[in-house]
Amino acid sequence: MKVIVEPENHILELFKIKSVKALLNRLQLYPFQALVIRDNQLLTPDEKLFPNDTVIIRKVVSRG
Amino acid sequence: MKCTRCKQKAVVALPSHNAGFCASCFLLYFQNQMEKAIKKQKMFSPRHKILVALSGGKDSLALALQLKLLGYNLECLHLDLDISDTSKQVKTIAQRFCERFELKLHIIELKKENLSIPEVKKKLSRPICSACGQIKRYYFNYFAKQNNFDVLATGHTLDDEVSRLFANTLRWDITYLQQQSPILEQDQEFVRKVKPLYRLTEFETAVFCFLHNIQYSTIPCPYSKGASFTFYKRLLDELEYNQPGRKFNFYETFLKQKSQLFPPSTSKNKINFCSICGYPTLQDICGVCRIKKMLSKTS
Repeated sequence: MKVIVEPENHILELFKIKSVKALLNRLQLYPFQALVIRDNQLLTPDEKLFPNDTVIIRKVVSRG
Repeated sequence: MKCTRCKQKAVVALPSHNAGFCASCFLLYFQNQMEKAIKKQKMFSPRHKILVALSGGKDSLALALQLKLLGYNLECLHLDLDISDTSKQVKTIAQRFCERFELKLHIIELKKENLSIPEVKKKLSRPICSACGQIKRYYFNYFAKQNNFDVLATGHTLDDEVSRLFANTLRWDITYLQQQSPILEQDQEFVRKVKPLYRLTEFETAVFCFLHNIQYSTIPCPYSKGASFTFYKRLLDELEYNQPGRKFNFYETFLKQKSQLFPPSTSKNKINFCSICGYPTLQDICGVCRIKKMLSKTS
């Protein structure tokens, strides 16, 4: 699965991640710290993810 | 997950409210929370003229758009801080946003006021964040008063208010605890200041911007690295994750009990008016004029 982490625009290739919750855990983020976007749709933590997905992680914390 | 309200597929989970929402129900929830904040705190009414402090970040953009959608009479003010490429980018974002949503935008360029923030940072011995905040407050208030605005609205969210409350509590700073509120009443030459987003989180303003396809700035201020508020936000996020709703409860309970726990001080400091610009100050010259004076001496 391809993961784009914003705002840094880091691109990661991650494997064996089956849900949004698991992806956020892997990235050490709480669900309210980032929007999770696939095909321009927001995903809730219970959503399943698939190996061919491209997912955007848009962190939301203001940094000054 | 299904939308708590309409049972369609949810796109947002809000454990703090024990709820999930589809896109349209989330936008209704967002609107309701802001309307509740405005009414509960008696912030303003449709007859008031509102100035929105527009930084170009998600919170101030969400604030301006939601106020516009609710039919309020508002204009926006952006301060160009003159910080390398950052300021140019956020100014463009603010301009595009206001064009798209037909909002009147005013811009004050601090360079023209001889207060370019990088210059202030170079020459000032105290932390730049405190001086920058002081300069921003000065110009927002000054512009609002000069142009007959009734209210200045800022995009402070629940996360901002809770981290500030946490910091004030850690220091037991009674004066700051007395003053902390989503509404600061008009006082002498200070315009009334309000925070209509105080019931909503940064996550929720980000969702709002996403659903309205609003582009916002995510560029961090190059001078904010190591600021204590980001550390407090991380700590509070851990608390919120383990006890959903804790942030809101902490802040709401504070507001309910504030007048008993931290009654307003009866002794009032004598306010002077700055001998240079007329701005209210406890000294002869206000903080911003002192910074300007210091810059002119060292240039």
